[in-house]
Amino acid sequence: MRVALFVTCLVDLMRPRIGFAAIELLEAAGCDVIVPAGQTCCGQPVWNSGDRAAAAALAKKVIDEFVGSEYVVVPSGSCADQIRNEYPVILADEPEWRARAVELAGRVYELTDFLVNVAHIKTLPGNFSGSVTYHDSCTGLRGMGIKEQPRALLAKMSGVELKEMAAAEECCGFGGTFSVKFGEISAAIAAKKCGNACATGAQTIVGGDLGCLLNIEGKLRRLGDETTQVRHIAEVLTAKK
Amino acid sequence: MSSREDILGRVRARLGRNTENAATARKDIEAAIDGRVQGPRPAVPTDTAGLVAWFEEKSAAQSSSLDRVATLADAPAAVARYLAGMNLPLRAVIWPSLAGLDWRAAGIEVAPRGAVDSDLVGITGCFCAIAETGTLMACSAPDHPATVSLLPETHIALVPMSRIVPGMEDAWNLARAELGSLPRAVNFISGPSRTGDIEQTIVLGAHGPYRVHLVIVERE
Amino acid sequence: MESRSRHFKANAAASLANPVLQTNLKTAKGKFVDKRAIAIKEIDDFEGSREAAKNIRNRVLENLDLWLEKFEESATARGATVLWAKDGEEICRHVAEIGQRHGVQKAAKSKSMLSEEANLNLALTAAGIRPIETDLGEYILQINDNEPPSHIIAPVVHKSLDEVADLFHQVHKTPRKTEIPALTREAREVLREHFLTADMGISGGNFLVAETGSVALVTNEGNGRMVTTLPRVHVVITGIEKVVPTLEDLTLLLRLLPRSATGQSISNYVSVLTGVKTPEERDGPEHLYFILVDNGRADVVGTEFQDMLRCIRCGACMNHCPVYQTIGGHAYGWVYPGPMGSVLTPLYTGLENAIDLPQAATLCNQCGVVCPVMIPLPELLRRLREKQVEKHLRPWFERFALKIWAKVAASPSLYALGSWLGVRYLKWLAGGRDRIAVLSAAPEWTLGRDFPAPEGKTFRELYRKGKK
Repeated sequence: MRVALFVTCLVDLMRPRIGFAAIELLEAAGCDVIVPAGQTCCGQPVWNSGDRAAAAALAKKVIDEFVGSEYVVVPSGSCADQIRNEYPVILADEPEWRARAVELAGRVYELTDFLVNVAHIKTLPGNFSGSVTYHDSCTGLRGMGIKEQPRALLAKMSGVELKEMAAAEECCGFGGTFSVKFGEISAAIAAKKCGNACATGAQTIVGGDLGCLLNIEGKLRRLGDETTQVRHIAEVLTAKK
Repeated sequence: MSSREDILGRVRARLGRNTENAATARKDIEAAIDGRVQGPRPAVPTDTAGLVAWFEEKSAAQSSSLDRVATLADAPAAVARYLAGMNLPLRAVIWPSLAGLDWRAAGIEVAPRGAVDSDLVGITGCFCAIAETGTLMACSAPDHPATVSLLPETHIALVPMSRIVPGMEDAWNLARAELGSLPRAVNFISGPSRTGDIEQTIVLGAHGPYRVHLVIVERE
Repeated sequence: MESRSRHFKANAAASLANPVLQTNLKTAKGKFVDKRAIAIKEIDDFEGSREAAKNIRNRVLENLDLWLEKFEESATARGATVLWAKDGEEICRHVAEIGQRHGVQKAAKSKSMLSEEANLNLALTAAGIRPIETDLGEYILQINDNEPPSHIIAPVVHKSLDEVADLFHQVHKTPRKTEIPALTREAREVLREHFLTADMGISGGNFLVAETGSVALVTNEGNGRMVTTLPRVHVVITGIEKVVPTLEDLTLLLRLLPRSATGQSISNYVSVLTGVKTPEERDGPEHLYFILVDNGRADVVGTEFQDMLRCIRCGACMNHCPVYQTIGGHAYGWVYPGPMGSVLTPLYTGLENAIDLPQAATLCNQCGVVCPVMIPLPELLRRLREKQVEKHLRPWFERFALKIWAKVAASPSLYALGSWLGVRYLKWLAGGRDRIAVLSAAPEWTLGRDFPAPEGKTFRELYRKGKK
């Protein structure tokens, strides 16, 4: 299987190791991975901020960049959702582009969904050991149906003990630009998420969207929690003891 | 321009109304009203025993208490037993349509009229009852004043078993068949009045009755 | 109601700083969310029912003018008078005129959000009619100096038992009671007197049935029945969007409304009221008026926001909203809080008067998945953001930042340069730590949390190096 990785701008800037972990996982699943060089941002921030023209321009750029790849895999539920579910909406008034958006939508996958349901990964490259709790990021969950896939992957790791938190499906308060427009509200919501996650006693909070993870980690540290780790699912699945 | 014309005019303009599409739309309206298509309905048993059991279970869940009697003539004694058991007076305002039963023999003094504030007990029948939710359907009429099920602290209703229907759709069909048009007030009553306004804690007895007691009548 | 939506941020900050409110919100959230989750399980085909409910509402909206005429015809045939109101002022004028016509001195009101939109109580008082709110929550607010509600179905969800106990003690001049049943009985006794002496009952309308010309009212307390049974005059105030075709359609919506709102399979009282009393009847109003209200609704018909008019006012969206759960309803500043309010307030009071509301959402879509009529609330919020951008209503620095990002992201070389600089700047700012405590480029982020530091190099740099 030939897979083009859409790294996402947040991973590119903040946590390159997630991108490399994604590549490692895809290769472990038997994929040939390429990373198109010109990629930047999927456009979700501008689209959700109401700038349709800018969102359309970025959508077209992504569509062009990922022409011809068998699959496009994204280590983020919300960026994958932007490409799969929003591009056809953004480009609804341009039939040719819309058709191309729909075509791309058919081959774009969130990472864990791809590993479980398309690549049928057998053996994971990591041997992480410890207790984890999984935060379901909103757009991945409600837009892309990401719920069982990461849990199925974690279940393959004998050293992982999954401790489900209360209200795992509730928003962590990130909300993209919401987090920098309404910082106090956003952080107050994050505090509830941290409370639910920590109540499980898990050593590591795991999720599939870096935005949520930065939000949760930032809140934990501000609350004085120096021990609970916050990791992307790809990091956990590739972690070596 | 009247407000009516102003509002409807703007709605028409926004919908692109013209004489042709108005004719088509009117057909859709008539079709909708004549069709009376039912939406998805929760499964409710349709055999009598199952239906009654369902009604009893759901009524209890609505905090109504329940009793059963064989015939309508047995109802006054059952009501007297209930009132005595609850330490309530053997005095009630009653739907005039039910005043013909022998309440005196059961020791109950009934007043067939609309309810007033000082009435502590109200006795009514019902047009029918709905198993799905444990609900009474009361239709207003000169002989069925709506206040009797509303003002007193205790509401007792006689429910003929034959009038228990699965869902509200069946109740509407019964009303259409038997009454033609809807009476002024159709009141669906599901247990005692309640409020959760203070700290979302449910308290029984808000403005209406504190207690609803249902006497199911097996045969009429 | 005067909108305070412009001050959303300040309102929200006050809510966050109010420990009593925070406790009350937490209690309420648990109850609403858990009860709904249980109640919807009773419906075998819940998703199918939502779909059907959406279709019923759409069917009417698509031909709203004709459905309104149909309703008017059916209602009039049964002796009701149908009036129309363009705005809140006209609602007030109609009710005052009806009151004067029938010599009304006291009006008992069941809950009506439209009367909040119109500030009706103030107008009634000015017209010499004493308005009495009879929903327990609304009554508590009225005697607390006409405080606005903070939730559409649980108006005093922001108040604690203690606060209510103090209020009753002060206003009723009775010994202070601390049990909820005792407080409820006290209100019952005060209000019973008003029910019996009111000349006019005022209610909202959950639905208008076109087939029969009826209004359907759902209440739990029984106050809805009281105000539509005892007074001589009944006035229904309802939005023009509330029409449903048939009793069957009403039935389906009634399966969804209470389950979504309070987790009940049915509200205690569902009253379907048609026309005036006959001379032989012992109770019921002699005069029935419908006031069908526009107040911004007509201009939403046929627009990209029409889906919002499907709303049946259950409150599930706010009960499930992480933002509402955190700041409560008052912060939103107008009649309708939560996601539905963040759509309705700008649409009804003006985009420029509620500039924060469409932005004050994480777009988590919890509201969208619980909405019983499948309103795509996050999508409508996003479209409102688009309108804000079109009309240049966003602050300059935000527009500037977006333009820069759009420019940079569109150009791989600019992006490479910008990201190279950006991560190094952030790394420097962290000063060797794994976090940044104050981020001047995004000060809101670090108000309540740290900003985790970047690794220090971008993925694209490392990837290219690794490949070489």
